[in-house]
Amino acid sequence: MVEISEQPHKSHRTRQAGPSARKKKKPSDGAKNNKNPKAFAFNSTRKAKRLQSRSTEIEQRKLHIPTIDRSIGEPAPYVIVVQGPPKVGKSLLIKCLVKHYTKQSLPEVRGPITIVSGKQRRLQFVECPNDINGMIDAAKFADVALLLIDGSFGFEMETFEFLNILQVHGFPKVMGVLTHIEGPDAKKIRKTKQRLKHRFWTEIYDGAKLFYLSGLENGKYHPREVHNLARFISVMKFHPLSWRASHPYVMVDRFEDVTPPERSHTNKKCDRNVTLYGYLRGCNMKKSTKVHIAGIGDYNLAGLTNLADPCPVPSAAKKKGLRDKEKLFYAPMSGLGDLIYDKDAVYININDNLVQYSKVDNENGEISGKGGIVDKGEKMVKSLQEVKYSINEKLEQSSINLFSRKPPRSHNTNGALLESEIEDLKLSDQDNSVEESETDESDKEIGEEDLEESESSDQEKANEIVRSTGDGSDGESEDDEHLPHLRSDSKEQVEFHNGRVRRRAMCGTDIDNSDFKSSGKDDEDSHSSASSNFSEEDEDDPKIEEDEIENVSKWKESLVERTLSGQNTNLMQLVYGKSVSNSTSSTDEAHCSEDEESDGEKFFQPKGEINKKSSDGADDINVNDEECSKLTISVKQKNWKSEDLVESIRDHFVTGDWSKAALRGQTSDVTGEDDSVYGEFEDLETGEKYESHQMDDAGTDTDINRKGDEARRLKKLALRAKFDTQHEESDSPDEETGKSKGTKFHRDQANESGYFDKLKEEIELRKQMNIAELNDLDEATRFELEGFRTGTYLRLEIHDVPFEMVEYFDPHHPVLVGGLGLGEENEGYMQLSKGFAQAFQIRKHVIRGPDFKEKVKDWWDFVVEGRRGKVFRLKLKILKIKLMKWNKEVTDNIKRLPVRIKRHRWHRKVLKTRDPIIVSIGWRRYQTTPIYAIEDLNGRHRMLKYTPEHMHCLATFYGPLVPPNTGVVAVQNVSKNQAAFRITATAVVQEFNHAARIMKKIKFVGYPCKIFRKTALIKDMFTSDLEISRFEGAEIRTVSGIRGQVKKVSLLGTGNPIKGARLGKIRSC
Amino acid sequence: MERVMKKTYKRLKGSKYLRQRLLLSTLSTTPIIISDIRPDDMPPGLRYYEVELLKLFELISDGCVIELHDTATKFKYIPGVLMGGRNLVHDCGKYRSLGYFLEPLIVLGLFGKKPLSIKLLGITNDSKDPSVDTFRSTTLPMLKRFGIPSEGLELKIECRGSPPNGGGEVVLKVPVVQSSLSAVTWTDEGMVKRIRGTTFSTRVSSQFENTMIHAARGIFNRLLPDVHIFTDHKAGVQAGKSPGYGISLVAETTTGCFISTDTAVFQAKWKDEDEYEDDEKKELTPPEDLGEQAASVLLGEVEQGGVVDSTHQFVFVLYGMVLLDNYFIK
Repeated sequence: MVEISEQPHKSHRTRQAGPSARKKKKPSDGAKNNKNPKAFAFNSTRKAKRLQSRSTEIEQRKLHIPTIDRSIGEPAPYVIVVQGPPKVGKSLLIKCLVKHYTKQSLPEVRGPITIVSGKQRRLQFVECPNDINGMIDAAKFADVALLLIDGSFGFEMETFEFLNILQVHGFPKVMGVLTHIEGPDAKKIRKTKQRLKHRFWTEIYDGAKLFYLSGLENGKYHPREVHNLARFISVMKFHPLSWRASHPYVMVDRFEDVTPPERSHTNKKCDRNVTLYGYLRGCNMKKSTKVHIAGIGDYNLAGLTNLADPCPVPSAAKKKGLRDKEKLFYAPMSGLGDLIYDKDAVYININDNLVQYSKVDNENGEISGKGGIVDKGEKMVKSLQEVKYSINEKLEQSSINLFSRKPPRSHNTNGALLESEIEDLKLSDQDNSVEESETDESDKEIGEEDLEESESSDQEKANEIVRSTGDGSDGESEDDEHLPHLRSDSKEQVEFHNGRVRRRAMCGTDIDNSDFKSSGKDDEDSHSSASSNFSEEDEDDPKIEEDEIENVSKWKESLVERTLSGQNTNLMQLVYGKSVSNSTSSTDEAHCSEDEESDGEKFFQPKGEINKKSSDGADDINVNDEECSKLTISVKQKNWKSEDLVESIRDHFVTGDWSKAALRGQTSDVTGEDDSVYGEFEDLETGEKYESHQMDDAGTDTDINRKGDEARRLKKLALRAKFDTQHEESDSPDEETGKSKGTKFHRDQANESGYFDKLKEEIELRKQMNIAELNDLDEATRFELEGFRTGTYLRLEIHDVPFEMVEYFDPHHPVLVGGLGLGEENEGYMQLSKGFAQAFQIRKHVIRGPDFKEKVKDWWDFVVEGRRGKVFRLKLKILKIKLMKWNKEVTDNIKRLPVRIKRHRWHRKVLKTRDPIIVSIGWRRYQTTPIYAIEDLNGRHRMLKYTPEHMHCLATFYGPLVPPNTGVVAVQNVSKNQAAFRITATAVVQEFNHAARIMKKIKFVGYPCKIFRKTALIKDMFTSDLEISRFEGAEIRTVSGIRGQVKKVSLLGTGNPIKGARLGKIRSC
Repeated sequence: MERVMKKTYKRLKGSKYLRQRLLLSTLSTTPIIISDIRPDDMPPGLRYYEVELLKLFELISDGCVIELHDTATKFKYIPGVLMGGRNLVHDCGKYRSLGYFLEPLIVLGLFGKKPLSIKLLGITNDSKDPSVDTFRSTTLPMLKRFGIPSEGLELKIECRGSPPNGGGEVVLKVPVVQSSLSAVTWTDEGMVKRIRGTTFSTRVSSQFENTMIHAARGIFNRLLPDVHIFTDHKAGVQAGKSPGYGISLVAETTTGCFISTDTAVFQAKWKDEDEYEDDEKKELTPPEDLGEQAASVLLGEVEQGGVVDSTHQFVFVLYGMVLLDNYFIK
C-alpha cells in the first residue's frame, strides 16, 4: 500500500504542438502584454477604422427622416391588441393586466377596455378575434400587438397570419408572450423557450422581445410577471405609421342603435341609424370627412360630436404615481363603467342581479331609524322606485314648476369616473316619443333653473348621483324642497337590454355642459384639454341640433338660442350676421365683404380671388367675367418724375437709408396686422374651399387677429427662445437615445448628425409656430380649421347602415371606422361589379386613340336607302351602337388598380385569374376578381392565367383608389373553417390609373388561302369584320415561326359565296 | 356588404373664379357642377378660353370627365388623376394670353405623377394677364421658396405672339414635388437692390424697345444705378402673327423678393369684343409712355411693400392652401 501511495503520479504532459497548445498560450500572452485591455481597445488602425465605420453604420441606420407630429394635446389611448390562437389565454392576460392597473377584476372581456395606466398614458386593450376579418381590422388599429403563443404547443398559424397582416398594414410594435410554459423539467422548458425565441426572431428581427408567463396561480398569471409585462408596455415608444398618421380613424368602443323605434318595429330589416363612440386617432377629423366602416361600407357622417372623455388622464399635479381614484377604466361593451354619457343623455347601467327593489315604506323607516338622517341619494332612489303612474298620466296631472328654490351647496366626495356630476336626474324611457312628449314641460323647467344658476355662478348645485352598486351615493342630505321637484320630473323606465337593466337618465344638453364646466372648476381638476372640449361642445351644439331638426320640437329652439347666447360672441357673426351654410353663396359673400373691408388698403387685394371691385353692378359682372390675376391699375398713376415722390420711396432701395428701412420693417410689423390678416384669410380660404360649411364663422378671426397680433408675435418669440434654450441645454426627448449613444461620433460625424439635428429643430420650430398660430384663434374658428383633434372622444352618428350591422353586432369583434383621404372614395367601383347600368360615355383616351377617326369613317361609310333625314338619323343610330360596342371593348379594363403581388409561399395553391379573392387595402376589405399579368422585357403586360410559383407578378382589379405603396393582403375566403394558412398573397399598390393595358396571348387557327411574297390572306381566323378591325396591327406569330401583323380585312380573292368567311391579311416581315 | 356612396357633387354657381374652382376641385378630387355661367350674356355660357382651360385640365389628367351642358352655362367636372407627362401640346387659343393658363399649370404640375412638360401655343404677352417674361423672371424663382426643386422648373419662350393673332409658343417644365411643399416664413421684404427687365417686340422695329428702355431707365436712374433691361427682338416665325411690343420689369430685393410688372401694346382688331375696342383701339401707347408707365407701376408696387407683388398673390394663396403648416407671408 505504502509503495503504491509513494509511487508518483505521472505528471500531466502539456501539448507542445497542435491546436490545444496554441489555444492555451493565447490568453496568457495577452495578459502579459496588455496590462489593461480596456484602456487599449485595439492596436491596429485598420481595425479601429473598421470598428468605427461599423458603429457609424449602426448609428446611421437608426436615423429616420424626422416627421412633423401634428397631434396636439393628449394622445388617444394606445391600443394594445392581444392576439393568439384560441385557448391560449388572451382574455386571462387582459384580465390580469386590468387587475394590475386598476385593482378591479373583470368578469368578462367584451370589446375594448380603456384604462388609465399612468399619469400621462392610457391604454386600450382589445382582444383580437380569430376570424380573418377581425384579425385584419385589429392589425389596422393596433399600436402594440401582444402575440400570445402556447409554449406547450409551439407556434400556431394564427400568429403567423397575424404577423403577415401586421407587416402589410404598417408594422406596429410587436411583443411575443409565451404562455403555458410549466412542467417539472426545467431544462426542457429552457430549451423550448430558446427554440421558440429563435423562431420568433427570424420572423420579426433578432432580439425581438419575447415574454414568458409561467403557469397559473389561483387561475391567474403570476402577479410579478404581469407587473413586468405592464412595465414593458408602459415604457414602449411608438413610431408613427404613415398610413395612420395621414388618416383619421376611430376604434369603436361603444355602439348604439338610434333608429327611431317605430321604424325598426314596422320593418325589422330597415336601414338603421347608429352611433359609434371612440377615441379619435391618426389625424384630425373634420365634419365633412367621409368614413369607411370596415366590413360595412362608406358613409357620410350624419353627426360628429365630441363627448367628455370617459377616461381622462389625471391632472398634472406633482405627485408620484396614480391615486386610486384616478385608476379609471372604461369598458362599456363589457358592461362596465356604469355611467355612460351621450350627447344629450346619461345612461346608467345596472346589472340584472344587482337590481333589488326595496319596500319603500318599511325600510325607509328603518333606515332613518338607523342613520338618523335620511340620505339624499337613498331618498331619491326610493322616490324613483315608487312609480305609480305612467308617464302620460303623470304628464296630465303635473303642473309646471317654474322656479324651484335653490338648494344648498353640497359637495360630492367620491372622485371616481362614475361620479361625474349630474345635476338634475331624470330617468325616462329610452323611447323617443315618450321623451319628446315629456320633455316639453320638463325642459322648460330645466331651462329656467339653468338661467337662474348661471346668474349666481359661484353657487354650485348639488350633484346627485344614482349609483347602482356598492359605493352608494354619499350625497349629503338635501332639503326636502328639492325632492318633490325631482320626483315630479324624474321618471323611471326599466328596460331589458342585452340582459342588463338599463335606465336612461335624461337631462338637457346645456345643463350637461354647464355642469361639466362647473365640475371642472369644482374639482380643481383643471385639465386644460377636457375643459376646452367642453367649450367646444358648447359651440357645436347648435349646429348639431340643426342637423337633427326632424325630431326637435319647439323647446329645443329656445335651447339653441340659449346656447348661442352663451357662446362667446364671434366678431365675424356680429359683423356679417349668422353663418350661412350654403357654400357658394356664402363664399361669394365672404369675398364681397372682404372686398369692402380691404377697401382702405388697395394693395392687399388678392387679385386672383377678388377682382377689382367697382361700384356699378353691370360693370362688376364684366370684371368678374374677365378673371385674371393681374392688377388692373385703378389707382391713378403717380408721376414718379416728381422729386418728392421719388424721395418718398428712396428708403425702399439700397441707395436709401438702411436704418430707416430697418425701422420700416419693424413698424410695418406692428402696423401691418392687415398683412397677417391677409395671411389668415388665406388659411381660411383653404377651409372654405375644401369644406363647405359655415365659412362666415371661419372668417371671424380676421378681426380678432387684429387685437392679438402683437401679443402673438411676442409669444412666438418667447416660444422660440424657450425652444432654443431647451435645445442647448438638453436634447429634445426624442433625441436622447440618439445623442447619448452617438456622442463619440459627434466628433467625426459632425456634419451628418448636425444636419439631422437641424432638421429636427426646424420641424420642432414649425410645430411650435403652428401651435402658436392656432392657439390664437378662438375655439370655433379653430375647430373649423382643424377639425376635431386627435385624442378626443367622439360620437359619430351614421345613418342608413344595413340592419345586419346591428343585428349581428358582436362586441368581441372590434369595429373600425377609418376616415377616407382625398379621392379615396373616388371610384364607383361597385357600380361595375354590381352591374348597374353605366351611362354611355366615351373616354378621352378612346377618342385620342390613333385609329379613332378611321374607325368612325369606316362605320359611317355604308349605304342606307331612304329619305335624307331618315338616312342621317339611321346612320347616327348605327354609329352610336358601334361606338358603344367598341368603347366597351376598349375601356373594359378601366379603373383598375395594379398591384405587385406575390402569392404567399405558405399558401398551397397558385392563384388563378378572375378567381375572386378578398383583399384588404387601406381601411377597406373587399372581394374582387384580379387579373394577373407579368411585365415582359419589352414593357408589355402579358396576362397570366395563373400566378407564377415563386415570383412577383402584377394583379389588376377594380377598386377604390389608394395611394401607391399601400400594402395589400389577400385571402381567399373568410369563412371559419380554416385552410392551413389563410393568407393567400401579399402585395403592394404600384400606381393607380384609370386604365391599365394588359395583353392577352390568343391562339387562332386560320387557313392561308392566297400567298404573295410578303403577304398572305388567311381565312377563317376571325369570325367578324369587327373582330378583325379590333386586331388590326396586332403582331402575330405562327407556330413555325413566321412573324407578321394583321393588316386589314380583305375581300380579295375570296371567291367564297358565304359571307361569313372572313380573311385576315398577314404580312411577314 | 360593402356599400357605395353616391357621388356627391359640389354645386357652384356663376362664372367667377373658374380657374380656382377647377384647380381646387382637382387637387381635392371633389367633383363639381358649376351652373349659371353668364346666363344673361350674349352669347351665354363659357367663353372660348374657359373651354380651352377645361381641355387643358383634361389633357394633363387621366380619367377626368367633363360634361358640358348644351348651352354651356352649366358643366360637370369630375377630376381625374393628375398625370403630367412629357411632350404635351395645347393650343390655348387667341382669346386669352398664356399667363391665364400657366398659373394653374404650375400648381397642378407639381402634384402629377410624372414631371410635366407641355408646349402651350397662343398669345404670350398682353396687357391683361401676366406675361411669360414675368413668369420666367419672377414666378419661377419664387416657387423655389416652397421647396420646389429648381432643376426641371423651366419656362422657355420659343416664339412670341401678340394679340390678336397670337402665334406664340412656350414650353413649360414643372417637376414633381416629392413629399410636400415646405412652409415658408417670409415677412421681410428687404430693399430693392437691382432692377432687371425684358422688352420684346414682334413685327415692329427693334427701335421701339430701346425707346422703352430709355424711358424706364429715366425714372429708375434717380433711385438705383443697377438697372439692366434686356431686349428681345423677335423676327420671322418667332415673332408670331401680330405686331406688338411690351416691357416686363422686376425689382429684386436684398432678401430675395421679386416684384414685377409688365405691360404690352398691341393692335386690337377684334370687332366682337367691345372692351378691346374701347380700351386699346383708339390709340396705341407710344413706347416711351409705355416704358414710363411700366416703371411707374413697378415703383408703385415697391412703395406698397410686401414680399410679393399683386400679380402673384394668387399663386401664393394657392400654395398656402396646399400646405399643411401655417405660413407667413407679408
